[in-house]
Amino acid sequence: MSQEINSTNQNPAGDLLVVENLTTTFQTARGALPAVGGVSFRLGANEILGVVGESGSGKTVLSRTIMGLQPRTNVEVGGSVLLDGHQIVGATDEDLRDIWGTKVAMIFQDPMTSLNPVTKIGKQIGESLQVRLGMNKAEAKARVIELLTLVGIPSPEERYDAYPTQLSGGMRQRVMIAIALACNPTLLLADEPTTGLDVTIQAQILNLLDELQLKMKMSVILVTHDLGVVATRTDRIIVMYAGRIVEMGTTKEVFRNHKMPYTRALLESTPRVSNPSHTRLQTIPGRPPNLLKLTEGCAFAPRCSRATEKCSQERPTLEPTGVDGHYFACWNPLEDQAAPVSIQTGTIKEIGEDNVRG
Amino acid sequence: MSEANNKVVLSVKDLEVTFRKGRQRVSAVAGISFDLYEGETLGLVGESGCGKSTTGRALMQIVPSTGGQIFVDGDELTSLNKDEARNLRRKMQMIFQDPISSLNPRRRVKDIVAEPLDCWKLAKGAERDSIVSDLLNKVGIDPAVYGNRYARQFSGGQCQRISIARSLAMRPRLLICDEVVSALDVSIQAQILNLLEDLKKEYGLTMLFIAHDLAVVKNISDRVAVMYLGKLCEIGPSDTLYAKPAHPYTEFLLGAALEADPELEQSSATLGGEPPSPLNPPSGCRFRTRCPFATEKCAAEEPQLRDIGEGHQVACHFPLVGAHQ
Amino acid sequence: MTNNEVVINAAESVVEQPEKKAPIGIFTWICVGWLAINVLVAVLAPLLPIPDPNEMISMPGMGMSFDHLMGTDDLGRDIFGRLAWGSRISLGVGIGSMAIAFGVGGPLGMLAAYRRGKMDVIMSSVMFTFLAFPSIIAIIAVLSFWTPRSLGKIIIVIGISSIPLVYRVMRAAALSAGSKEYVTAARVQGARDRRIIFRELLPNVAPTGLSFLLFGVATVIALEGVLAFLGLSIAPDIAPSWGNMINDARQSLNNVPQNWPLIIFPSAILCLFILALNFVGDRLRSYFDVTEVKL
Ligand SMILES: Nc1ncnc2c1ncn2[C@@H]1O[C@H](COP(=O)(O)OP(=O)(O)O)[C@@H](O)[C@H]1O
Ligand SMILES: Nc1ncnc2c1ncn2[C@@H]1O[C@H](COP(=O)(O)OP(=O)(O)O)[C@@H](O)[C@H]1O
Ligand code: SF4
Ligand code: SF4
Ligand SMILES: [Mg+2]
Ligand SMILES: [Mg+2]
Repeated sequence: MSQEINSTNQNPAGDLLVVENLTTTFQTARGALPAVGGVSFRLGANEILGVVGESGSGKTVLSRTIMGLQPRTNVEVGGSVLLDGHQIVGATDEDLRDIWGTKVAMIFQDPMTSLNPVTKIGKQIGESLQVRLGMNKAEAKARVIELLTLVGIPSPEERYDAYPTQLSGGMRQRVMIAIALACNPTLLLADEPTTGLDVTIQAQILNLLDELQLKMKMSVILVTHDLGVVATRTDRIIVMYAGRIVEMGTTKEVFRNHKMPYTRALLESTPRVSNPSHTRLQTIPGRPPNLLKLTEGCAFAPRCSRATEKCSQERPTLEPTGVDGHYFACWNPLEDQAAPVSIQTGTIKEIGEDNVRG
Repeated sequence: MSEANNKVVLSVKDLEVTFRKGRQRVSAVAGISFDLYEGETLGLVGESGCGKSTTGRALMQIVPSTGGQIFVDGDELTSLNKDEARNLRRKMQMIFQDPISSLNPRRRVKDIVAEPLDCWKLAKGAERDSIVSDLLNKVGIDPAVYGNRYARQFSGGQCQRISIARSLAMRPRLLICDEVVSALDVSIQAQILNLLEDLKKEYGLTMLFIAHDLAVVKNISDRVAVMYLGKLCEIGPSDTLYAKPAHPYTEFLLGAALEADPELEQSSATLGGEPPSPLNPPSGCRFRTRCPFATEKCAAEEPQLRDIGEGHQVACHFPLVGAHQ
Repeated sequence: MTNNEVVINAAESVVEQPEKKAPIGIFTWICVGWLAINVLVAVLAPLLPIPDPNEMISMPGMGMSFDHLMGTDDLGRDIFGRLAWGSRISLGVGIGSMAIAFGVGGPLGMLAAYRRGKMDVIMSSVMFTFLAFPSIIAIIAVLSFWTPRSLGKIIIVIGISSIPLVYRVMRAAALSAGSKEYVTAARVQGARDRRIIFRELLPNVAPTGLSFLLFGVATVIALEGVLAFLGLSIAPDIAPSWGNMINDARQSLNNVPQNWPLIIFPSAILCLFILALNFVGDRLRSYFDVTEVKL
């Protein structure tokens, strides 16, 4: 059943993460819900991988499963997640505790729910330093201030004593990043890190993640529903639909030469700043399927304009296109190229960092 | 676009909304003026907390305005008494951001859509049913199958369709849409945007479309107004404004908008810092604490909205583009 | 129509699972049946062939028999008859006082939540001040002076003392319902206050109110038992409440230890009744909870 997905030679150092036929099934009152239905991919060192899909496509469940964060009751996890040689599926809490922070760390969409509202942020960041790295109080504090500076929090000495509620959304997300990076993880999972933030703050956070990825030499999985976020920030992307990978490849390939109709539809229904106003958007009829009632066929079939008889009977498997690790799952792949987006907007492109005030 | 003519449907003059928070005063909308012409869609963009929703709510008198005037077809709204204002407001309708909580989960779809008819006792019995069926058909929901369902049984996109049907029951002149697609997935968002465009034509609506998403606003609007910290920065035809932004803030906002195209060069100029608190706004130009071009004049003197041609107005002492030819 | 593509088709099918709630369950129905029997017996007691509770119809301390389903007590009165008639008192106290508490506290709470502002501040400060004072002490104090104690007086005292609690619960429920956008939307449609309170708020606070009502009745019935224990309920010789019966039995059991039905039956009925009320109340709350059914 499990299919071998060969990674391309972008990562001569070997793969940091190998996910094989990963399934996460929730037992609900209405039956088994396959939130992740057999996902396989590899991630190289220093690589930035984007995971895109509409809400409910299983992005969050996938990243939490990779992290080993699924609860033990009412969930069944199958397949394998090998992170730098450590098997995450079925790992004990103790094993996971060794991995969390140092090998893999995660940041979430809503930093407020993962920050303790009654503890000062300095203490929250310092905690893991003292526990995991055995630093003493003074060392930890010095390192926390260093981290706060690293993530671009102004006057870090003062903010050390701030409570999460005293910070803005963007600042909280920076604190979350500082916590995640405290123990130098090799893999950072970012689940919708900028959803809900304003565009200018989003740009700041994405720039920060880019910068830190280079500086700390880590791999990043950037999970988002926003195609704009992954377009220029990732090396490769995975497109998910109904808990499965439907297309995967280098970012440029997927945007330009996608084969799967869903990828095309997603791109065409996204409004663009560069389109003239009143451009009619392409729509995808209907809405994503109910995961409790998935059929044997392609999950996109009821909404797909290219669907044929075969599509509703047999599920397409991920097939290589032959180009650069590009895979797609479709019986009737698209042949033509996507039209490039044109027209640049705006006039100032050359303002340097130094004439932009913080 | 050519659909708009010169008849002013809504005219807002120096609208102010100040909330009291204990002793403090939040100046959420600090004196904004604009006109809405018949048949046009005006987009209102800006970052969260800049006062977009408050503007919309003040126009509907959901929150009281603390200053300025609102003219609807020439009638001034804020000086009317409660009943007169309620009457005048029949010409205006509003749709909200959260599609699910905008509908009472314990009422049936057809009753929700008929609510305005019932409130104003406009139609009863078979006539009411036929109006409701017609409206539901218009928004793409089969009244025979779904009319008797409860609102809680629908997904976000469908709830938003029902909200739209309800808002059209009174045949309003003006429709205020507050972030109506922000909570929806792209594929559903496109359906709703197209639906709004179609209905706008069919019903001859004038729209105020509030959103934080620049691409969505560009797509649907004829003209766009940019707001920052309770003030208007810039207002103009959408294609002009997006191609040649005159206000530095608009420029940065556009630079930060992410286009779904890996080959498009992203602007390297990002705006630092965060908007100051509306409890204590900066003197002069409210954007000056983040503006790379700020001078002493910007701190001392508040820039007024002024015309730079082609219906393009900007409130900046040093606009990025001079007067259009 | 231009937007054919959006007309809901099979694929989009609005509700793939038309609101499949967890079934009510046989146990809940048993509880409901048990509550219904109790209420029926209480209401119809004068019409049913139920032995007089105060008549000494037989030998004292008789065991269970066809004539005396639960036997007789130490004065030769029929225990079943006393229980059945006693339910009129116990249920009367429970339902009557809750009627007062909900009749006053419910509308006030909803009004305060809807209007907010000064009205809310004034009413809430009064109510919350009363809430801070332990009501059981107030009830005991009033009842020990306001004699002779009748059913009506007990209902009034417990009812009034429960108003602040009901006020708080209903106000909280209405506040959360009232902060929803659909209330704003109704105002935008031109709905007036009364219409909003009845059409938008009431249906959404009713489930909370109903389940709290059942908990309230259960609590008051138990409270009446406590009062009886302290000798503060209606004098037992007028009519025995369940609490009174348990209290009597406790005393007579000291003299005649083998007369166990005297304490077992009233206690069991009281317990089962309160349990059933609580269970049904809880089940109702989750049954009507809209958010729990949504996928
Ligand atoms: N704890 C859970 N129990 C049951 N179903 C769940 C749970 N968590 C997520 N799901 C379901 O799994 C699917 C995928 O969810 P998610 O990964 O959150 O999607 P995404 O992050 O792509 O929006 C959804 O249908 C969701 O309802
Ligand atoms: N009811 C209110 N009471 C007090 N402050 C409010 C209220 N509504 C909005 N505000 C404040 O007014 C400002 C503008 O808010 P809003 O209009 O919602 O912004 P936007 O819709 O642009 O995100 C914010 O600072 C917000 O905190
Ligand atoms: S397999 Fe068939 S239904 Fe699925 S995406 Fe391809 S063409 Fe469409
Ligand atoms: S007025 Fe001054 S501070 Fe304000 S936007 Fe223009 S240049 Fe910047
Ligand atoms: Mg998610
Ligand atoms: Mg808003």
